[in-house]
Amino acid sequence: MVKNHFTMKRNVIRKIVGGISFTSALFVFQACYGTPQDLGFDVLVEGQVKAKSTGLPIKGIRVAVADQLQYELTDSEGKFSFYAYKQEGLKLQFKDADAAENGVYLDKDTVLTGLSDRVSLEILLEEH
Amino acid sequence: MVAFYKKLAFKVVKKAITRQHDLNYLFWECTTRCNLHCLHCGSDCSKDSRHADMPVDDFLRAVDTIENRSPYFTVVFTGGEPLLRSDLELCGKELRKRGFRWSIVTNGHLYDKQRHISLLNAGMGALTISLDGLNDSHNWLRNNPASFDIVSNAIELAASSNRINFDVVSCINQKNINELEQLREFLISKNVRAWRLFTIIPIGRATNIPDLSLTDQQFLTLMNFIAKYRNHNEIDIKFSCEGYVGRYEPLVRDSRFFCRAGINIGSILIDGSISACPNIDRSFAQGTIYTDNFYEVWQHRFQPFRNREWTKTGQCASCKDYKDCQGNGFHNWHGSKENVLVCHHAKIENALKNHSLS
Repeated sequence: MVKNHFTMKRNVIRKIVGGISFTSALFVFQACYGTPQDLGFDVLVEGQVKAKSTGLPIKGIRVAVADQLQYELTDSEGKFSFYAYKQEGLKLQFKDADAAENGVYLDKDTVLTGLSDRVSLEILLEEH
Repeated sequence: MVAFYKKLAFKVVKKAITRQHDLNYLFWECTTRCNLHCLHCGSDCSKDSRHADMPVDDFLRAVDTIENRSPYFTVVFTGGEPLLRSDLELCGKELRKRGFRWSIVTNGHLYDKQRHISLLNAGMGALTISLDGLNDSHNWLRNNPASFDIVSNAIELAASSNRINFDVVSCINQKNINELEQLREFLISKNVRAWRLFTIIPIGRATNIPDLSLTDQQFLTLMNFIAKYRNHNEIDIKFSCEGYVGRYEPLVRDSRFFCRAGINIGSILIDGSISACPNIDRSFAQGTIYTDNFYEVWQHRFQPFRNREWTKTGQCASCKDYKDCQGNGFHNWHGSKENVLVCHHAKIENALKNHSLS
């Protein structure tokens, strides 16, 4: 109870101070030998890739952000998870990266809209 | 008149922020190993550090004590060279799960395409890479003949990401002070959008190399350079928050000088010590994560950081600008602490005085 009261008081003071600050100086700064602050322009993209015909997870699918260097490979459970730049129309590309090792599947693109901070996907790939 | 009220408002806000002392910027000195042996290193890092890297679990246990987190709370991995650790991504993901954002300060030597991708995947949100001049001057300071080319590649890679809040920092010294214009052009050509300049404080290895410190006139040149380009759109240039610069305060940064060490900035150092910026004299440590609750230490100790009256000594004792400066950046108090190591304000005033006399 005491802690809650203390927390509320701090939050009220924080809002008052933030209100009278004519810049974002209250929270946004960088230490002289540090980095700029991360202002949070990303989204956590996670999910699972499965075979459309069997419903089984597929390992070794390359999940890439279109027009960017970023990608990740699905694990043995077909799962992937990474942070990507949050933008309307974020395009993900799913590509079979290991030839015939875990089966052969057709590529698929997905465009994400209305993003919040986290998106969870289930992707079904057709066999070649 | 507007300037007067702006300055007054800033003072009010600064006082309130100091009283509030929200922690929202945490350095983690995750290693003191380094792959370079820079001439100016303030932490005397080496390839074979006497400290083992702190285990991620030890760090996370301390982080888990933090309550009432501020918006944009950022954990900054620093060193040594943090990229020597292969578990930064693991730690970064754990921090993101807990709602913290994180970033890295690096010399860029290990920042290749694969690491860039894995760090982004793990949720890195900001990055700073050091570049200390054009080819010869950078390599001189970094004590490595190949460094400039390696770091240039790293900068190009980092600048290609629209996700991370990325900037380049440069230590300005006697070898590169005459290269500022060319260096600016170079960074623009690499698509760098933010450039932070600072000078070298005579601590660590930097103590014994006179070429590292700017003369008063050179420091004034640096101020004028930043002021000249502050309002240009090609690249955001600013002076770091390392010190109070008097009449140049409104001209060289986003906001006026405010050393937030121990007020908003904390650190967990390699041996578990709890302090503020890692370049601050280690005798200011306020506790250790191995025997203290980190957040309780943050809340209830740190008095020398939040009340800086003790810095009113030496040349600061009679300074007319003391209320605005409050002893300059905290990292300027080392050893006996009888006087401030560097007074940026005095350097400017001396340079202007000498200029008007000549």
